[in-house]
Amino acid sequence: MLAYGAGDAGAFETLYARHRGGLFRFVLRAVKDRGAAEELFQEVWVRVIEARERYAPKARFITWLYTIAHNLLVDHWRKKGLSLVALDGDEVPSESANPARQAEAREALARLVQALESLPAAQREAFLLHEEGGLSVAQIAAATGVGEEAAKSRLRYAMTKLKAAVDDG
Amino acid sequence: MADDDDISRRYRELPREEPPHHLDDAILAAARRAVHTRPAPLVVPSGRQRWYFPLAAAAIIVLAVAVTMHVEREQPTGEVVSSATAPVAAAPSAREVPEEFRTEKPPAEKPKPAAQPERRRKVESADARQSRNELRDAAPPPELQKAPEPAPPPAAPAQDAVGGVAQSASGLRLERTEAPKPARAASSLSAFAQQSPEQWLQGIADLRKQRRHEEADKELAEFRKRYPEYKIPPAMRERVERR
Repeated sequence: MLAYGAGDAGAFETLYARHRGGLFRFVLRAVKDRGAAEELFQEVWVRVIEARERYAPKARFITWLYTIAHNLLVDHWRKKGLSLVALDGDEVPSESANPARQAEAREALARLVQALESLPAAQREAFLLHEEGGLSVAQIAAATGVGEEAAKSRLRYAMTKLKAAVDDG
Repeated sequence: MADDDDISRRYRELPREEPPHHLDDAILAAARRAVHTRPAPLVVPSGRQRWYFPLAAAAIIVLAVAVTMHVEREQPTGEVVSSATAPVAAAPSAREVPEEFRTEKPPAEKPKPAAQPERRRKVESADARQSRNELRDAAPPPELQKAPEPAPPPAAPAQDAVGGVAQSASGLRLERTEAPKPARAASSLSAFAQQSPEQWLQGIADLRKQRRHEEADKELAEFRKRYPEYKIPPAMRERVERR
């Protein structure tokens, strides 16, 4: 990113090639709408381009990249009247995450996808950051602006639910 | 931990969606555009471009010095022309040619004393005269330019005063580049004094012919003061000296 900030367009292409798939799937599975996902995906990279000269390597680039994506997702959900915080926590499980309803799925992957979509947004985001971005708990905490304990909890709940959904079959 | 790995493995079995190509193209184009339109770098360029800036600066300095020198060299001539053009254009020849040589004046008329032109000439500064002379070199007065016929040779005397003026005037025009430049120290110079010695003497001879001896004496005295080394040919001396 520093090379791109200094004017090396090839450096951006390298970064983009490395992170485009993971970021796109992260956004796509977070919003569950392809059109909105493409729009958000493009917006993330536009922000990266705009910030090229003031970028300071305080953390790994991928953490910074997914922080931008997280902030845009928060804005997206806010526009839709949703709140990331309200969906956070395991105490209010999603109705669709009921293992009994998912038991009808024939294949484990289908159940996994369904379970993933059924996860509370914060848990799903933590899971996707971990799987698509390869972020550690600390990095997830940094990217989403929460403490490490909260990040670890979200990731743990997500894993547990997904495993339960897969095992249901 | 094994459960986490199992979930991760299963998750990776899901279809790997990719962003559409048009999105890739748009983003990469925007990135390239942003780099190419960025402002000039503040850091000193390296490599082959390093010498471009000193070279450009040197070229600009040389150009500026050359233009300045050219302007300074051109300016004095332009000032002389501009300051001298107006008065000469307004009064082309009346100031230069004594009244007695005007074509309108009948030859038989009683000669007018030359005191007034003399006085007027005295108040002129030497610089003004020099400017006028330079301008006349560049652009002769209309009368001189309109000389109808080529001047007869100086040896042939003019038929009358008007012819004499025409002769000396056209002679002035033809010989201007050959005539030696008079010294600036002369205090009061007549119209003859601004001509060549030969023409001056011819003018004095014309005055004698018109019996205007006082003026002729003055002019002759002035001539001798101006050209003390000049040897007047005997034939001309007879014509210019009082008999």
